[in-house]
Amino acid sequence: MARTALEGILVLDLGTGVAVPDGIRLLAELGANVIKIESSQNLDFVRTIAAEKNSSAGFNETNRNKRSIGVDLTTEKGKELAEKLIKMADVFAENLRGGVAKNLGFDYESIRRIKPDIIYLSSQGFGGDGPHSDYPAYGPMLSSGSGMLSIWKHPDDPYPVGSNSPLPDHMASKQCAIAILAALDYKRRTGKGQFIDMAQTEVAAALIGESFLDYTINKRVPEPKGNRSSYAAPHGAYPCDGIDNWVAISVFNDEEWHNFVKAIGNPDWAGDLKFATLLGRLKNVEELDLHISEWTTPQDAWDIQELLQKAGVPAGVVQRAPDTMKDPQIKHDNALVEIEHPIVGKRLYPNVVIKMSETPAVPSTSAPLLGQHTDEICRKLLQMSDDEIKKLKEEGILESPDS
Amino acid sequence: MTHHEGALTGYRILDLTDSNGAYCARQLADLGAEVIKIEPPQGDPGRSIPPFLNDDPHLEKSLYFIYRNANKRGITLNLECEEGRDIFKKLIEKADVIVENFGSGYMDGLGLGYEVLEKINPNIILTGITEFGNDGPYKDYKGSNIVDFALSGVMITSGYPGKAPTLLPGTPAYDATSMIADVEILAALYTRPAIGKGQKIDISVHEAARTGLYPWSVPIYSHSLTPDGPLPGPETRLGDSIYPVYPVKDGYIRVIALTPRQWQALVKVLGSPDILMLPEWENFIYRIGNSQDLYAIMLEFTTQYTQVEIWEAGFREGVPIAPIYDIPTFINSPDAGARNFFVEVDHPIIGKGTYPGSPYNWTETPPHVKCGAPLLGQHNGEIYCNELGLSKDELIILRGAGVI
Repeated sequence: MARTALEGILVLDLGTGVAVPDGIRLLAELGANVIKIESSQNLDFVRTIAAEKNSSAGFNETNRNKRSIGVDLTTEKGKELAEKLIKMADVFAENLRGGVAKNLGFDYESIRRIKPDIIYLSSQGFGGDGPHSDYPAYGPMLSSGSGMLSIWKHPDDPYPVGSNSPLPDHMASKQCAIAILAALDYKRRTGKGQFIDMAQTEVAAALIGESFLDYTINKRVPEPKGNRSSYAAPHGAYPCDGIDNWVAISVFNDEEWHNFVKAIGNPDWAGDLKFATLLGRLKNVEELDLHISEWTTPQDAWDIQELLQKAGVPAGVVQRAPDTMKDPQIKHDNALVEIEHPIVGKRLYPNVVIKMSETPAVPSTSAPLLGQHTDEICRKLLQMSDDEIKKLKEEGILESPDS
Repeated sequence: MTHHEGALTGYRILDLTDSNGAYCARQLADLGAEVIKIEPPQGDPGRSIPPFLNDDPHLEKSLYFIYRNANKRGITLNLECEEGRDIFKKLIEKADVIVENFGSGYMDGLGLGYEVLEKINPNIILTGITEFGNDGPYKDYKGSNIVDFALSGVMITSGYPGKAPTLLPGTPAYDATSMIADVEILAALYTRPAIGKGQKIDISVHEAARTGLYPWSVPIYSHSLTPDGPLPGPETRLGDSIYPVYPVKDGYIRVIALTPRQWQALVKVLGSPDILMLPEWENFIYRIGNSQDLYAIMLEFTTQYTQVEIWEAGFREGVPIAPIYDIPTFINSPDAGARNFFVEVDHPIIGKGTYPGSPYNWTETPPHVKCGAPLLGQHNGEIYCNELGLSKDELIILRGAGVI
């Protein structure tokens, strides 16, 4: 088998939720040896949002390709074991609630004493060094606390509500992976590790930089536009046949507009001169959107996607999971993968997205049960005897699915 | 002047992308890489994306372009003519990474496919971003910001129930794809000495946006399937029923009160008013079902506080609360201030402006924005004359011929 990009790199994942664990998953897919350090005393909170700690879809998605050691870090012996792992590790990453890593004795200053060239990434909602560094932060709080949520609404919504999915958590996690990889490359060239302190609110703010520039340079507080664009019309999500089905359509220029009008059968209203230019369409966008909704409402969203795309107009179904599962391009790309999990059985997940010609990604394997690899890691990596392992399990310091 | 060493100092990136891929190289630039943005002589179409300085639509005044292309130098080059391609091949000799999003097969069609480029520079890492991949039923489909966000599977959960799903501001599907492309580029740079060569990276927005924005949708659905059981309920928009939004003196806040303990803490923060002490409110499902009544009751109490007051009181009592900051308030927030998140960047037309910086602080190699976005062809002289050894006269001829 070809060499993987991160062959030989040991990463310790003391993450919870998404920001760190999802970023570390990408490193695992690139070939890093990832050990998730967890315990019943200190559960990744995503394990707790399911009926049983091993059956959380979010956890099982986020922690694929990792091994789990169950070790209680609040005990001296547990700490000693973790320290042994740290001495072998290249990367240590945590996003425990602010102050928790320090209380455990696993802040950067403590860890660099045992492993001077460690790359230590810490991610906090509002950053690790501001006045709210110890504040817990879930995804919905980060879009709120960054300015992003304030413009994430239709103009006529009373106030912004964002999404019930934890945006921007999964973008923060990609930033974690980017930072760790850049730091690994720097370490490869200089031998130096370092401490990286990420703020998840800042990840969100950096994604809407132009809105900040509009304020700092034009002195204007940006208005929420909803689905409208100031340089494309139509531009929106339009209702389709069925309950809560929608199709997104965007028309940026006159060529796309002509293609659009032709594809929908040259209705009379579309011949009105006020819709002939982009400026006219923008000016009369309310009326334009009504006409288009009238056309889309009785039709199937997938049919509209195909009709418009074949005519050269960007259009796409507002997908939910079953749509993704039947999307022909997703099928063609093998973009979903079935993985067998020891407790929940065969389930579908997004497949590994990394496509590198020389260092292929590692195929997906199931997320670990809590402590699934405790014995293996203790024996092989920590060179402990079976008796020692047994004793520490009896003392409740080590944990595995059978203990 | 201080010398800033970044984590990626010493690497050179050739950025051929338009606005939909601009964030990719921007990230690498902030981490210290030298990025040269290569535009067609007429300019990147991203230069006409609003907002503009003083609402003046002008090639050098797009704040969208200026933000996503800061920290890059810029040259013009026409890859569609032979002389342009010859110049490009010279640039490749000293480059580490190329990022392009022309679309499937475009580079191959120009004779600039990976097989050609790796012969010129075996270390080159060629990153091709496409909308829908290089083959398959959607290969010729067109994407856009809103269409790609819709397809990513997260838009259906955004906004109010009963209203149209709502677009996330910015260019989320493109930026999420750019970030995953960065992950692959960095992995390729890291492993390059070990394998002795560069490589080709392929990424499609349609596939990557899902992983980049919200990969849980299919797993949650799949985990909910039981043999012979009913199909899981459809994903939809739940508005603020789970994470309620309430008005305060200076705006709005968002509350995470999922557990009874968190709810009790919230009631305590609000001064334990009798009406909120009624036992039925302790039930999360009851609160969801009666969220409009609750909102009406809450008004009286939450509006006694400012965003920061109630946020900090929530922390003391044990209920997560977050301010819904508007743009100016986040800029002036104590956290962004303490972390020096906003940086000053100079631009020849815009002048000095305050930009969001990088979302992380580093002890050894702090990210840094050393220059504003390039004017169209601003660094042609620097790159073509100083580096490739062309004369000023030759530049004039090339410009006249439409090569640069």
